[in-house]
Amino acid sequence: MEDILLKQARALYKDRLRIALAAFIFVFAITFYLFYSPEIFTLGTVPPTAVIPNGWTQGFAVVTSVNTIGFFSTIALMALIFRFWSWAFLPGPASTFTLAVLRGILGSQTVIKPSLGKRFKVTLENGLQFDVNCNIREKDTGEWFAYRLISAKMKSEGLRNIALRHGFGVKDSRLVASVSNDELHLRTFLLTQAMMLMGPSN
Amino acid sequence: MEDDAETTSIYELLQLMSSLNDTRRAILLALAHIYPRSVSGVQLSRLIGYSGKSRSLYRGVISHLKENELIQIDQLTPKLYAIRVNNEHPLLSVLVELCRAHGESARKIYLKALEED
Repeated sequence: MEDILLKQARALYKDRLRIALAAFIFVFAITFYLFYSPEIFTLGTVPPTAVIPNGWTQGFAVVTSVNTIGFFSTIALMALIFRFWSWAFLPGPASTFTLAVLRGILGSQTVIKPSLGKRFKVTLENGLQFDVNCNIREKDTGEWFAYRLISAKMKSEGLRNIALRHGFGVKDSRLVASVSNDELHLRTFLLTQAMMLMGPSN
Repeated sequence: MEDDAETTSIYELLQLMSSLNDTRRAILLALAHIYPRSVSGVQLSRLIGYSGKSRSLYRGVISHLKENELIQIDQLTPKLYAIRVNNEHPLLSVLVELCRAHGESARKIYLKALEED
């Protein structure tokens, strides 16, 4: 069973992908026009006309021109902006869902900082922190909105036992787990419990 | 005192099991019942009635369970893996113990399902 907010987020994400693609095609056409309708600035090296017919040289001059360099850098920039956008932001409803789940466990007083990269930084009352990272879609499995819980580094004494007893693995003296969105609530709960047991880090 | 420690473990086991989603719970329950037998990825996905591809089960759920040391995976050949529950896990050893003591009929059903292929 999937949460209604996540369903919305998924639909929104798919819609936005479509809109982004449509916009991309549109902007592509415009940039194409903008970069090639004014004068063509060649890079200088013009092959001798004796060997290659004149039309070909003109064609090559268009391809190897400042305009082409400008055009491709613009396209690359657009792609980069799109990559950044999908890396940095969660669809709104998914963000609401995550915050609501975390607030549900930790209470409204706890500091939860959403940050770029679809990340939520939670500070517990004993000062320990953990990160909740969200993946819109996992590449390998095609699973939507999978989370990764990573705690701050903790003292290693007794850590492994506590980690295992709460269903977590230990990596680099942090508690880690990959959880699906329907597990987020209870596993974050267990993570909180485990971290409370570990006590403050110093 | 002994009894107390045991009920604590059972309480923690309950908490752990309820924190997992259906797929993971089904995997652990099935594997705990048939312990010490191990199964392959395909057998496992059939055993728990997983509808997706066993490859995606493998890359996702199973690797996550392994990361949290809930199951053990032995690579028999490059393509064949033997998956079983991690009996050294402090809580799952309790589960295996429980299944051994009370899960005789359930084990029969699981083993029968495994024989048919």
